[in-house]
Amino acid sequence: MADPMHQFQINKVVDLPTVNLPGLGVVDLSITNSVVSMGMAAGLICVFFALAARQAVVPGRLQSVGEMLYSLVDDLAGSIIGHEGKVFFPFVFTLFSFILAMNFLGMFLVFTATSQLAVTVTLAMLTILTVVVVGFARNGFGFFKLFVPSGVPAFLLILMVPIEIISFLVRPVTLALRLFGNMIGGHVVLKIFAGFIISLGLLASGGGIASLGILGSVVSLGSVVALTALEFIVAFLQAFVFAALTCVYLNDVVNLHSH
Amino acid sequence: MANETTQTHESTGADGHASGGGLPQFQFVWWPGQVVWLLLIFVVLYVLLSKLFLPRVGGTIQTRADKIAADVAQARDLKTQAEAESATALAELAKARTHAQRTASEAKAKANAEAATRQAAEEAVLAEKLAVAEDRIRVSRDAALGNVRTIASDIAAAITDKLTGVAATADEVETALTAAKA
Repeated sequence: MADPMHQFQINKVVDLPTVNLPGLGVVDLSITNSVVSMGMAAGLICVFFALAARQAVVPGRLQSVGEMLYSLVDDLAGSIIGHEGKVFFPFVFTLFSFILAMNFLGMFLVFTATSQLAVTVTLAMLTILTVVVVGFARNGFGFFKLFVPSGVPAFLLILMVPIEIISFLVRPVTLALRLFGNMIGGHVVLKIFAGFIISLGLLASGGGIASLGILGSVVSLGSVVALTALEFIVAFLQAFVFAALTCVYLNDVVNLHSH
Repeated sequence: MANETTQTHESTGADGHASGGGLPQFQFVWWPGQVVWLLLIFVVLYVLLSKLFLPRVGGTIQTRADKIAADVAQARDLKTQAEAESATALAELAKARTHAQRTASEAKAKANAEAATRQAAEEAVLAEKLAVAEDRIRVSRDAALGNVRTIASDIAAAITDKLTGVAATADEVETALTAAKA
């Protein structure tokens, strides 16, 4: 059977010289298949909106889809953050559309950028750092009130504050691992079942009692079809969940006083 | 699965990038490049979306909402206007109807009066004619009744002649008639 992990292997596509970035040290900026995948996702979004962002009063199909995505994220940011959500809407929308495009590209191409831990960790850190920066910019040192839930008796605070701090620190980890786990899990399972189709089919070609293997092959094929449909849902859902959690975390620091 | 893991180990080992565990995701040699490129692409995408595409889409949605609101408001205005005009038209119609009814009743009364006058005149003429005719009839009857005695005497004379063979004299007939009449 083909190695189900091979699809996650990173290879260089275009060799570029290493760059010495301040603070990061020497970085190999070669274009890898992961970078190509990210670039294609970003390009796809730009092409989509270049076509979809028409200004017709009666929208066509593509324009309707574009406006639907816009409204989806706009409503999400608006309902969670409130009217101040407008400020963070472009950031949330960029996260949502970028993750969605990378997930969907993974369904059509051989490489899924969001199944790379480096990518999901970077996106999660970006989100959390944005939350922290916004939190300090809005509230100054009042940001630390985030860890002190109001209306809690003093003796319970000894217990609550560490829990709140831990839960905040765990946020980037869960953000990164949720997306990473969903994408890698789905693609590995798809690969394994697809491998079963071939290997059981080959087994059945041996004849005799082994011919029953064709049954397993058919079941595997059905599973792959069903799982592919499921993966499309997961691809959308994970992008949406990432965007929704970003809104929730931003809301925590934007509307800190109302806690 | 154990077999696959060793396979991965071997393949990654062969590639010479085995800096992490079994998963290719843990080959940390690839991390810095991915992180830097991801941030670059993200920033470019953010700028493009927030400055170019999203305002356009949002503007279109806003324009549409404004246009629909304006159209609805205009339609509401037109409706109120139409309702007012309809009320005016109804009032005018009611006025016209009462006017027409009054005219009709006046005309009817006038026509009735004229008809009564004409009928009275006609009746007077007819009554006059009737009176003249009645007078004539009375005269004729009186004349006819005057002749009856002569006819009776002639008949009496004739019958007497037939029955007796002797003609009665005028005096005898006259006497007899007077007796019979009494």
